[in-house]
Amino acid sequence: MNGPGEFICRVSAQVSLASDSYLLKLEAPTLAWTTSPGQFAMLQCGEGLDPFLRRPLSIHQVERKRGVVYFLYQVRGQGTRWLAKRSKGDMIPLLGPLGRGFTVNPAGGKGLLVGAGMGVAPLLLLASELANQQWEVVTLMGAQTASGILRPDAFMDYGEVRTATDDGSSGMKGTILDLLNKELDDSSYDMIFACGPLPVLKGVQSISIDQGIPAELSLEERMACGVGACLGCTCGGADGEYLRVCQEGPVFKAGEVDIDG
Amino acid sequence: MADLSVNLAGIKMKNPVMSASGTFGSGSEYASLFDISKMGALVTKGLTLRPRAGNKPPRICETPAGLLNAVGLQNPGVEAFISDVLPEMLGFGVPVIANIAGSTTDEFVEMARQLSGTGIVGLEINISCPNVKTGGMALGTVPEVAAQVVEAVVKETDLPVIVKLTPNVTNIVELARAVAGAGADALSLINTLVGMVIDVEQRKPVLGNVVGGLSGPAIRPVGVWAVWQVAQAVDIPIVGMGGICTGQDALEFILAGASAVAVGSAFFNNPMAAVRIITELDEYCTKHGVDKLQDLVGAAWKE
Repeated sequence: MNGPGEFICRVSAQVSLASDSYLLKLEAPTLAWTTSPGQFAMLQCGEGLDPFLRRPLSIHQVERKRGVVYFLYQVRGQGTRWLAKRSKGDMIPLLGPLGRGFTVNPAGGKGLLVGAGMGVAPLLLLASELANQQWEVVTLMGAQTASGILRPDAFMDYGEVRTATDDGSSGMKGTILDLLNKELDDSSYDMIFACGPLPVLKGVQSISIDQGIPAELSLEERMACGVGACLGCTCGGADGEYLRVCQEGPVFKAGEVDIDG
Repeated sequence: MADLSVNLAGIKMKNPVMSASGTFGSGSEYASLFDISKMGALVTKGLTLRPRAGNKPPRICETPAGLLNAVGLQNPGVEAFISDVLPEMLGFGVPVIANIAGSTTDEFVEMARQLSGTGIVGLEINISCPNVKTGGMALGTVPEVAAQVVEAVVKETDLPVIVKLTPNVTNIVELARAVAGAGADALSLINTLVGMVIDVEQRKPVLGNVVGGLSGPAIRPVGVWAVWQVAQAVDIPIVGMGGICTGQDALEFILAGASAVAVGSAFFNNPMAAVRIITELDEYCTKHGVDKLQDLVGAAWKE
């Protein structure tokens, strides 16, 4: 049957990166084969009932032949703190793949990826899938300082990478939206794919509309069920109805959502 | 295999494990994870006469061993539910109970009328939702008002009427007696407890609705106590709920006097929670030589 599965996955590695962020590698063959870019999984981040809810994490990258899935995440609270302490051999229950991901048009094109801070998490699998479909990929990464630019080397496998930091310690001094505006002045693109904090997504949304470049935005919201049942993770839709981030999203077309950034 | 079956006010279930309203969608959301037909019964999301957009986000916030929610009864309205969602739910071959949340007595009666003859086997009267401004809990905290709603619905429908009560009252037993006296066929205990969480960095409430309903294992002892008291005061069956995650949790409610149990928040911690609970109830019966699970209802206080 189509739909998510529940898997108990063995940790094959966990690497600590800068800025309290981690790269978790799990043995999850079914997930590796069935997921598409922009989808996520709900990871159980504790052994008992506290923390009670699973944590929604974007699928960062997969190695299908090896049956492994990578998650890139930042420690933000009790659950992710527990997750960061897992090491090789530990088991983690997860539910996935979940949600609607990015659109990868097999006709190819030129795609601009915009990842603000931890927003790069779902973009690496997207970059690799786009590259597979003969897309030309450029990735823009933004953070406060150079240490917040996560895994630029991994993105370079699929195309050029440009960065922006608030203090100028990596790339352009300025915000990712400054970098995006500059990039669009210099080159033309068929599609923008963005993930990051709401103010950044709101900025990308208005640039997309102003310049007539289609964009897809990956949103983050607190979630309980992850499968569309509880209606806890809604965001405002363009027509005034609430949309479920876990089901209609997490990736939305720029015109579908009313971002209250 | 022990006999786990229950006849809840005429609703025949193969086991006492139901889904709690608002936590299980139409069931199809979980259909790739486990065999939904294994459940005793499904309870719908709270339905209103007209479509409701629900509350402004954020709608949920995790709390110690539980969560707060203020979804605000988002639903397509009873008419769209009957045409678009119900067929899917009935397809699982499990009794489906409709949770209805009117903002007036007339709305409850109208929904009861619309739902009869649709394949629904029972109505759960929601006079306990803490997240709406009219109706909801406002109708379920004063015994006379609650009784009036129940009496009107019972008069309208031939379906079994289950009344879901709020624990946010001074005396839940008095409320239970009032609705039982008004003709309720069964009770659901308990809806969520009202509460709030404040974000200390923003210095603002986390929930868009400020206040929400607390559920999960954190409230389980409150639910068990409510069932224990009410079961000894009324003669109608009780569906116990409040943070049930395991067979042992379900047994606490059953021993306190619940004939059936509902699983809600537990699905968020473990999407397979209902299967686990059914399996563990059977294991408990086998281990303790219990032929029929219903023999344990209220056993913690019965002589």
